[in-house]
Amino acid sequence: MPKRSLAVQLDRAIEAMLVALQPEPEPNTSAALAQLMPTARALRDLPRSDFKSALKSDLQRRTTMNEATAPAPQSSRTVHFRRPGFNNIAPYILVNGAPKFMEFLVSAFEATEGIRVPRPDGSIMHAEVRIGDSVIELAEANEQYPPRPMTTHLYVPDSDATYARALRAGASSIHAPTDDHPSGDRWGAVRDQFGNVWYIATPKGWEPGAEGLRAVQPYLHLRDAHNMIPFVEAAFGAEALGVHKSPEGHVLHATLSIANSTFEIDEAHGEFQPTPGYLHVYVADTDAVYAQAVRSGATGVTPPNDAPYGDRAAAVKDPFGNTWFLATYLGTGQP
Amino acid sequence: MVVRRSAQKTAPQGADERLLVQAAQSDPAKFDALYELHFERVYYFLARRVHDRATAEDLTSEVFHKALANLATYQWRGAPFAAWLFRIASNALADQYKRASREQSSDNAQNPDEHPDFSSPDLESIDYHARLFRLVDHLPAVQCQVIRERFVEQRSIREIADRLNKTEGAIKQLQFRALQTLRAQMEGGHA
Repeated sequence: MPKRSLAVQLDRAIEAMLVALQPEPEPNTSAALAQLMPTARALRDLPRSDFKSALKSDLQRRTTMNEATAPAPQSSRTVHFRRPGFNNIAPYILVNGAPKFMEFLVSAFEATEGIRVPRPDGSIMHAEVRIGDSVIELAEANEQYPPRPMTTHLYVPDSDATYARALRAGASSIHAPTDDHPSGDRWGAVRDQFGNVWYIATPKGWEPGAEGLRAVQPYLHLRDAHNMIPFVEAAFGAEALGVHKSPEGHVLHATLSIANSTFEIDEAHGEFQPTPGYLHVYVADTDAVYAQAVRSGATGVTPPNDAPYGDRAAAVKDPFGNTWFLATYLGTGQP
Repeated sequence: MVVRRSAQKTAPQGADERLLVQAAQSDPAKFDALYELHFERVYYFLARRVHDRATAEDLTSEVFHKALANLATYQWRGAPFAAWLFRIASNALADQYKRASREQSSDNAQNPDEHPDFSSPDLESIDYHARLFRLVDHLPAVQCQVIRERFVEQRSIREIADRLNKTEGAIKQLQFRALQTLRAQMEGGHA
């Protein structure tokens, strides 16, 4: 029997085994195939390599932190784990043409420039701008991290004025601010020259809570968005603050919080399709969260390491394709 | 193909293992060596009993964290170190079952037939699976990826073909060759 045919037969048997958990080979399988099936069956319990390395990293971290005999991997950094001036979540936007993108953010949203780390060729390796009480990070896209347009929800004092500034700065209108948005807020939307979508909203008829309202909130349009909620709860300890679903179970809108910040999700629809992006999340213990995220279904991208800029850093990719840069600030500055 | 030595890790016997344990007791950073030796065994022991990857991972994590935390109290009595790990794993399994039963009871949906297998570990089967799991990492990279995507991620041949930019037929061939290699190596031959 030709090998290709055997390969096809083998795959049929494996498919049946994986789908139906059928423990026995098909009755008509050849002897050669039957010899391979015990190996295939044994592979059903193959552990994830990401899990093995994440747990190893977690255990190593405990030993190097002299926490080996502690009863559980509890974090000892509950106060200073956020870089000063940062909230728990910041969008990290990679574009082609980062200097011009910074100019746009300053002109359109009255962002103030923070750190700018240039490469020798003048391109931006990393930069931060502040909008209100929040930070947006950005960098020139590269081969490892290609450009990914993102959607961001801005809360501003006057959505009409901000919308007009954004258009003057080169954005195109998706829709002008209106009071008819389902959120009840005065809400407009623009798309910048780099493909990013900006929802520009001013709260109406409600007051932010005691902690105030973050000016910048990442907004993820997702396919099967309802699956994101248990994932971020398990991976990052997120909390669902409000989930509105259609009768069919689609997430019309949900707000999720991680410590002092929130981000929003909904089911992808119309022109608002998934655009997996990058999110920077400060957590109390990068190693523990990395391990937990991988256990929860994320894929490890960069294992925890002491980054040269002073954070304990790691990266994982969620099942929707978004990359989460995890970080724990190791400095001593006040958050 | 020559099987790399590290893929053939078997539990060290007697004095060797005792030295590894003593080294880790003196310096917890050396717990790594014990982890590398026993990870696949502990994982498989639990995975066969809970039939759920997430639970198996949670319990495996719990076992190694407990082992690391309690290593100083471990006393060598001649039994393999793995036996101590399996005892921690059995306790973790029992605790997990009690927690799950309580939750199910509160939902009034308990199924008394659904309980994990608390029987003693089948050491031969555990060693067989642990060795097989390690051999996967020593396959040619693309075969290793196909096996992981197919059996761990449970992706379809079409999905894997799309991800690797290959034809479905090529993926089936890679899967076939990988299984042939693994089987040959498990039987001590050469593939």
